[in-house]
Amino acid sequence: MELVPILRQGDVLIISIMTALSDKDILHLQNRVLDKTCKSGVTGVVVDVSALDVIDSFSSKTIIDMAHAVRLLGAQTVVVGIQPEVALAMVLLGLTISDVPTALDLDLGIALLKEGRPHAAE
Amino acid sequence: MDDLVLSSIATRQDDIISIDRLIEWFDISEEDVGNLQSLTEIADDVADDTIDAFYEHILKFEEAAAKFADGATLERVKAGQKRYFRELVHCELGENYLEERRRIGQIHERAGIGPSLYIGAFGFYLQRLARSLQDQNALDSEQALSRFLSLVKVAHLDMAQALETFVGAREATIERQQNEISDLPTPVLQLREGLLLIPVVGAVDGRRARRLTIELLDAIREKRARAVVLDITGVSAVDSAVANNLIQTMAAARLMGAYPVLTGVKPDVAQALVKIGVNESSLNTSGELQSGIRAAESRIGA
Repeated sequence: MELVPILRQGDVLIISIMTALSDKDILHLQNRVLDKTCKSGVTGVVVDVSALDVIDSFSSKTIIDMAHAVRLLGAQTVVVGIQPEVALAMVLLGLTISDVPTALDLDLGIALLKEGRPHAAE
Repeated sequence: MDDLVLSSIATRQDDIISIDRLIEWFDISEEDVGNLQSLTEIADDVADDTIDAFYEHILKFEEAAAKFADGATLERVKAGQKRYFRELVHCELGENYLEERRRIGQIHERAGIGPSLYIGAFGFYLQRLARSLQDQNALDSEQALSRFLSLVKVAHLDMAQALETFVGAREATIERQQNEISDLPTPVLQLREGLLLIPVVGAVDGRRARRLTIELLDAIREKRARAVVLDITGVSAVDSAVANNLIQTMAAARLMGAYPVLTGVKPDVAQALVKIGVNESSLNTSGELQSGIRAAESRIGA
C-alpha cells in the first residue's frame, strides 16, 4: 500500500502528505504524481502539507522540481497548508519555493487553480 | 535574607560581590580599619565645616542651586552627607554597609546627581580631611600620611559601590525603555474578508519584528487571509537585521498562501533593503497604502 494516496477530484489531483517522508519516499511520490498527471490529463495538482510540522530542504526541493515538471506536462501545481512555524522555518533556511503558487488550504488551493486556468471563462 | 535585600537593591545581579572579596580587592587591612577609626573625632570636627564649605561652593553653580532650592531639602541633604562621612571613618565594613552604599547610589541616580558631582563632593571632603590631618599636633607626618592612605582606600571602595549602583540603575532604565519599545503593540487588522492590514508605527527592534512575524502568520491562518498589506509608513528607521526580518515575514506569508504587499517604504528603508540584497519582485511593493490595498484587493478578486 502506498504511503501517500493520490486522489482525483474533477480535473485536479489531490496529494495529501500526512506524515514526514523520507528522501526515498518523496522521490517515489514525485514519480507517481508525474505519472498520474500525464495519464489522467488533469489540469491541476494540489499538494497539501497542512499535517506537516516540519518540511526539510530535500522535500522542498523535490516539491519544487515536481511543480516544474507538472507545468511541463501542461498542469499547474499549488502547495497548500504550510503552517506558520513551517513557513518561518523554511524562510530561515532559504526555501522560499518562490515560483510555486501557494494557498492557505485545500479549498483556496482548488479555487486558485480554477481562477488560474486558461479556460476559466467557460 | 541579606542576600535577598541586596539583590533587590543592586540592579545588576552579576556585580554583587561579597564584602570580603571587596575588602581583599581594595587591599584594606585591619590596620587600615584601625587607622580610620582613630580619625573619628577629627572627621566629626571636619565634617560640619567641610559640608558647609562644600555647599557654599556648589551653590555657586546654577544646576546645583536649582536642586537645593528650598532650605529644608538642603538641611536634609547636609545631615545625610554628614552621616555618610561618619560611616566612612567608622569603617564597619559589612553587608549592611554595602547595602547602604548601593542604596545611596540609587538615590543619587534618581535625584539626577551625576558621577561628577558625587566624586567632586568626595574629593572636596578628602582634601579637607587631609589638611586637618596635617594640622594635628598629636600625629607625626608619617602617621598622618598612613591614616590618609587608609582613608583613600576605603573612600575608593565606597565610591566604587555607589557608582556600580549608579551605572546599574542607568542600565536598568535603558533596558526598561528598550522593553517598552519592543512591547509596542502592532495590531493585525482585517480590512475585509481575506485581506489583512498591518500598520507598523514607531521603532522596530528585533524582538518586536519577531513578534510581529508570529502574530501575522497566526492571523493569516485564523482569518483565512489571501492577501496581507504590511504598511511601514510610520516606521522611523530599520537596521538591516530588522529589514531582513520584515522580508522573511513576507516570504513566510506567501508560503502560507497569502499575497504579501509592502507599502510605505521610505528612502532609507529602501536602502536598507537593497543592502541586504532584496529585489523588489518578491515584495510586491506599492508606493503608498492606498495603492497597496488596491493591488491586494485586485489580487483576491474583491
